[in-house]
Amino acid sequence: MKSSLREPSARKINTRIRFLQAGLLAWALILTGRLVQLQVFGHASAKAEVLEQSRSRSEISPERGTIFDRNGQILARSIPARSIFLTPSKDEPAEARQRTIRTLSKVLGLDGEESRRVMDRIRRSEPFVYIKRKVSPETAATVEALCLPGVHSHPDTMRFYPSGTLAAHILGGVGLDDTGLAGVEYVYNGPLQGRKGQALILKDARRREYYFETLAAAVPGKDIALTIDATLQYIAERELAKAVRETQAGWGTVIISNPASGEILAMASSPTYDPNSYSSAEAGAQFNRAIQLTYEPGSTFKIVTASAALAHHVVGLKESFDCSRTDLGFRGKPIRDHKPFGILTFPQVVIHSSNKGMALVGRRVGEVSLHDMAEAFGFGRKSGIDLAGEAAGRLQPLSAWSGRTLPALSTGYEVAATPLQILQAVNAIANRGIMVPPRIVTDILDPDDPLKRRSPTLALQILSPEIAATMTDILERAVDEGTGLQARLSGYRIAGKTGTTQKWDPALKAYSEQKHIASFVGFAPADHPVLSVVIVLDDPQGGSYYGGEVAAPVFREIVRKALLKLGVYPEPAPAQGVITASIWKGVRP
Amino acid sequence: MIRKKIPRRRIILGLMVVLLTLVILTFYLRHLTETARLGLVERNLEVRLSRLRDEVKALEAKKAALLSLSRVERVAREVLHMSEPEPGQVIYGTETGTNR
Repeated sequence: MKSSLREPSARKINTRIRFLQAGLLAWALILTGRLVQLQVFGHASAKAEVLEQSRSRSEISPERGTIFDRNGQILARSIPARSIFLTPSKDEPAEARQRTIRTLSKVLGLDGEESRRVMDRIRRSEPFVYIKRKVSPETAATVEALCLPGVHSHPDTMRFYPSGTLAAHILGGVGLDDTGLAGVEYVYNGPLQGRKGQALILKDARRREYYFETLAAAVPGKDIALTIDATLQYIAERELAKAVRETQAGWGTVIISNPASGEILAMASSPTYDPNSYSSAEAGAQFNRAIQLTYEPGSTFKIVTASAALAHHVVGLKESFDCSRTDLGFRGKPIRDHKPFGILTFPQVVIHSSNKGMALVGRRVGEVSLHDMAEAFGFGRKSGIDLAGEAAGRLQPLSAWSGRTLPALSTGYEVAATPLQILQAVNAIANRGIMVPPRIVTDILDPDDPLKRRSPTLALQILSPEIAATMTDILERAVDEGTGLQARLSGYRIAGKTGTTQKWDPALKAYSEQKHIASFVGFAPADHPVLSVVIVLDDPQGGSYYGGEVAAPVFREIVRKALLKLGVYPEPAPAQGVITASIWKGVRP
Repeated sequence: MIRKKIPRRRIILGLMVVLLTLVILTFYLRHLTETARLGLVERNLEVRLSRLRDEVKALEAKKAALLSLSRVERVAREVLHMSEPEPGQVIYGTETGTNR
């Protein structure tokens, strides 16, 4: 009886238990389903949301390689710096933010525009705002000591050019992200830059606190050694600046090279700029006129015409030319000399830079031979120097030649060349007819392979050594007794050629009588050249504009100082009025 | 109830085992803490070395700036009142003697 009474109650309880179990199971299933939904299907979005709230990744700039001159002097180096940034909190009142920015403006010296930029970015709710990039570690420490909410700093590097404007056009410059924008910094950006690293920044729930952790270390860039000699570069820049100032020239450029190796020892352009503030430099100052500017070289091109005449045996050294003729010109560009000449021998035509004489020599050479020789000397194509933005110049194809091209080209007109191309031409003469491509970088110093050296460049024999020697003699006489007298240097044998070019006036559609380009190109010592120099000055004012009077003295001063720097001392002058005799001692055989 | 007497040898052996275990554990803990400490010291030294290298690089750059030829010339002319030598004032040394 008792059991029969209990049975319905037990069944009832069991039923309730089953309902409860079913309910719990359903609840567990719902929970499990929700968990699966969140953690499996919604994993990616949930993770992204969490990451966005709590942490962010940032790139670590690698330390950029150092640029040295040929003697190991530092020309560009990245030094430690810090970048100040802000991780704004949404809960922070706007007034507090403005107070923070005002405080930072005082410490970091932010101008009004910079402060406004930062405030704009904060208003746009950007989670990471740079206040100021690349400040000194001391300044960063001062900022950190203020304990401003959300203001922190992370390690960075700053490109520093210790010599200021020295070799600015060779080095170029970098942008805010340490990417090369010009010069060697641009051409060798890859090896210099290294590989970027990655850092993790952790934030708290209110996005105020953070933690900076390096996830992947940055690989530093490789160092680069240039062919430049800092002292010669300084001499070139100083003398160029002095010449531009004294002659009131529009611009000027100087290149010093080693004719035997093709190494550029110095390359200067005026006006110049400070690569420490590359982005604020004027475009005109950033222009590397030594390789990016083309001009009609004028009489310095006569080296090519004379070489062609000798190479094709169309003139003899004792052959004479009537330089008093008046029938050599053409409309718009009469051929005339800087002073009246009569009969001149072939060497004298070059020595005294007679345009009429050279036009007659050009006739002998002929169009094809002159074009081929100019092409062999590298005109009309890039020299291949490892600097960005080199101009190729212009050498018209034979099909485009007019009746006046031959006399014009013979005297250095109707051809556009860079100062470097002119220097390369004279380098071939100095180097016994061998033309070595120019280069600016000696080595990319790889710490993993310290013995690795760059492969040698291919040199071309464009003239026979005999013709190069003859040309050297003629160019030496051009300095000793011709138009290059002011380039003469006591105790040294100098070879060189002057150039004075009338500039083309687009308004007049004719060559200007007032505007000129003065130039001089040469090498020293003539018998054993250790350096070659080209100087180009645009539109010199103050009376004289001839290359022999304006550019040649600059050449002399540069060569005098550069030779002493290179340990090439002047030959002692023979004693005047003293008869010398060797004293013989001992027994005659 | 008669308690069975534990042999002294066994007690000593047991104590030795416990002692040895404690020694080993102590040594192990000491080893762990020392390893961690040395790791920390090494890390600190690495950071210090890195900072010193950066400092050396910065100082080298600063030295290069101080020795830049433009600065040297400015100091020579403006502070030391030096001037360029006149022609003939420079005497060049050669292997055979001097050359004015």
